[in-house]
Amino acid sequence: MNIPRRGVGFERFSGLYLWAALIIGFSLWQPDFFPTSSTVHSIAGERSISAILALAIIIPLACGAFDLSVGAVANFATINAALLINDGWSWPAAAVMAVLISTAIGAVNGLFVVRLHVSSFITTLGIGSVITALQIVVTDNLQPVAPNQSNESWANFTNHTIFGFQIVFLYLILLAFLLWWVLEHTPVGRYLYAIGSSPDAARLSGVAVNRFTWLSLIASATLAGVGGVMFSSLTGPSLTYGGGLLLPAFAAAFLGSTQIVPGRFNVWGTVMSIFVLATGVKGLQIAYPQAQWLDPAFSGAALVLAVAVAVGRQRSGEERTRKRLSRKGSGPRPDAEASLPGQTEHAVI
Amino acid sequence: MPTASGPSAPPHALDATGLTKTFVGGRALSEVDLQIAAGEVCALLGENGSGKSTLIKVLSGYHSPDPGAVVRIGGQELEFTSPHSSYALGARFVHQDLGLVEESSIADNLAFGPGFPTRFGTVLERKARDRARTALNAMGLDVDPRLKVGRLSPAQKTGVAVARALLPDEASPARLLVLDEPTARLPEEEVEQLLAIVRTVAANGIGVLYVTHRLDEVFDVAERAVVLRDGVRVVSEPVEGLTRDTLLRQLFGATLEKAHRRADQLPPETPPVLRVHELRSEVLRGVSLDVRPGEIVGVAGVTGSGREALCATVFGARVHDEGEVEVRGEALPSHRPDISISRGVAYVPAERKLSGCFLDLPATENISISSMRSVWSFPLLRRSKEKEIARGWFERLGVRPAGAVDSPMSSFSGGNQQKIIYGKWFQQSPSLFLLDEPTQGVDVGSKAELHKALFRAAEDGAAVLVSSTDVDELVTISDRVVVLLRGRVVAVLEGQDINVHELTRASLGISTPGEGVA
Repeated sequence: MNIPRRGVGFERFSGLYLWAALIIGFSLWQPDFFPTSSTVHSIAGERSISAILALAIIIPLACGAFDLSVGAVANFATINAALLINDGWSWPAAAVMAVLISTAIGAVNGLFVVRLHVSSFITTLGIGSVITALQIVVTDNLQPVAPNQSNESWANFTNHTIFGFQIVFLYLILLAFLLWWVLEHTPVGRYLYAIGSSPDAARLSGVAVNRFTWLSLIASATLAGVGGVMFSSLTGPSLTYGGGLLLPAFAAAFLGSTQIVPGRFNVWGTVMSIFVLATGVKGLQIAYPQAQWLDPAFSGAALVLAVAVAVGRQRSGEERTRKRLSRKGSGPRPDAEASLPGQTEHAVI
Repeated sequence: MPTASGPSAPPHALDATGLTKTFVGGRALSEVDLQIAAGEVCALLGENGSGKSTLIKVLSGYHSPDPGAVVRIGGQELEFTSPHSSYALGARFVHQDLGLVEESSIADNLAFGPGFPTRFGTVLERKARDRARTALNAMGLDVDPRLKVGRLSPAQKTGVAVARALLPDEASPARLLVLDEPTARLPEEEVEQLLAIVRTVAANGIGVLYVTHRLDEVFDVAERAVVLRDGVRVVSEPVEGLTRDTLLRQLFGATLEKAHRRADQLPPETPPVLRVHELRSEVLRGVSLDVRPGEIVGVAGVTGSGREALCATVFGARVHDEGEVEVRGEALPSHRPDISISRGVAYVPAERKLSGCFLDLPATENISISSMRSVWSFPLLRRSKEKEIARGWFERLGVRPAGAVDSPMSSFSGGNQQKIIYGKWFQQSPSLFLLDEPTQGVDVGSKAELHKALFRAAEDGAAVLVSSTDVDELVTISDRVVVLLRGRVVAVLEGQDINVHELTRASLGISTPGEGVA
């Protein structure tokens, strides 16, 4: 009998099978509305910003830190870009400035986490709230005029279409490739995963734990800022969308950690998860156009189920390892540890 | 039958016959018989993978043996259905991981299982304390039950775990106590305390199955030794008829080549690789020592003497306040492991699982983490080269399963994990090795292999500083032993003076021979 090896086969790509099942199911159910190119294009465009935020959070998650401020940071960048353009800045300058402000927020997050030893969970929860407050101060809680109405090149920055896709989807793919390269093919990625696995062991192996933790929070805030600026161009300066993207981002990150490279927060698993979830939501929305509750319900359930699957897989993986070792007679390991990515952080809260 | 039992004698604490356990790929146990009389301490020895753990799991009801096996506990036959039936017959288990809640008091820990004494839902603190005190006294432990478990010494913690396992239960009195490597994590000076607890338990008529890696304890506490090898019981004899050598031979089957090195291979007077001068920290009170190339220097001392902190402090894993550390003439700053590593220092910490390796990462990544530069060339990590390196160390250090370089670290046994950690450091060809408990929790076979690897490194000119609670180990591998007491060097032993007696004496601060060891 062929015993499935850990990390290979069905489980690893279960997201893809689920995706295929969803597509086929909805195509049969709603043959006139679902299997159309406009569905594909709208999912790709609508979810690109979510996906960028999900990519942002897997950087600190890789080294065991949470960034709960990405929603607030992205929203702030959206507003800042719009305000600066309205002030007469050229849109590229405004975009860069909005991203730099985000980077600075990331540096502050890092300061609290690394220098003042506040858990990243608490730090980013608090800083996220402060940023939201700052946004209210800056805008007086009035939505700025959307510059994309008058400024065509600003709107085209993300709305330009290529083969029917909004170009923002291409940006997402490029960012995903960049992050995939960093996490999987450079020493930086190895250091981040090592810190996430055991900060102590990483330090004793010569890894600059503080520096990389700090950098990961700067990177996540910067990437969130990039996503926010794109949202500003794509949709306009909404005051409140940011908070709503946080949970789907975490759902995708954790669901992604059960896919492609199980046990690790990884880029392609995360991107795939965003779009699998989006496909499910989209299909149901086509069937029940009035159902506003679909998106949060899907994301929330996905987050909890993803973690349940990850833990379950870990346990059954250990069981297989243990049985394999005892079969080979090299000693069962009674002490195999269950570890879910990011678990270290839960422990310190 | 190793122990005679007359018709009037109480039933055996344990009477297992024909225990066989087959897993899909092979036999973990074959036809094992094991009898333990009431009040007898029986030591169970065996290398990793010899079937010890399987045996314990069968007794606890976790595994069902193959048909044909009969296990009687206290004379009653065990039905292999659930852990409860094993408990109901009177079998009690204390695992290596004691499972105590460190933040709670002893009394609370003892009440978590059976429940707190209450009146109208309110915990009767005094009654809980009294119960706890009685249970502790039965172990010969005189500690305040209000103390938090976290503040106890390792031996006391084990004592509390034993007390908890043996809490009175009228429905099913304890008849058999299984202790799984209770001393693996104990400092040398606390072992005796634990052995006393074991004797107390046995004196109460409970049979004890005592699993250990340490041969000395077998002769100290056990009446009979049972050795498993490849799932077969190869020895079951009273300890009086046994010697260390016979036990060792039986453990391994083939002749055991004791790793040993002649001290006269030392190179002539050369500048030291490591020079420590008046090092002071929280626990060190001015330690000075030199290690020359090719030299293996042991560090001995009781817990709290500074022994456990020296290597970490030299490396920079812990802070030092004053004093100098020089490696090949260059000063090492305090608390900068990265700089130490770049100057050619390797450090293996005592806590392997916590700070020695990355359990959920593949072996390959564990090995390459400190030498990323050699496998990184823009724009990609050279994975094939990385794997090549890992395979090389797997082969040279004899890591099992061979070639499983992509498996996560957690899938290897303790000894193999330690070999992989050594591989990581050997890859850097360090000029100085700092090792804390280099073979803790490692089976005897892997231990000898790790020692040989160290000898090779020393022959190639590396300096080695080894801190260990395992006195046998220090005697085996050291060219020189530095003994610490209260943060200071109190003795330096060389040549013939490196033996268990001298080491113990010096560690306890007894200077003149003849006073005896306390």
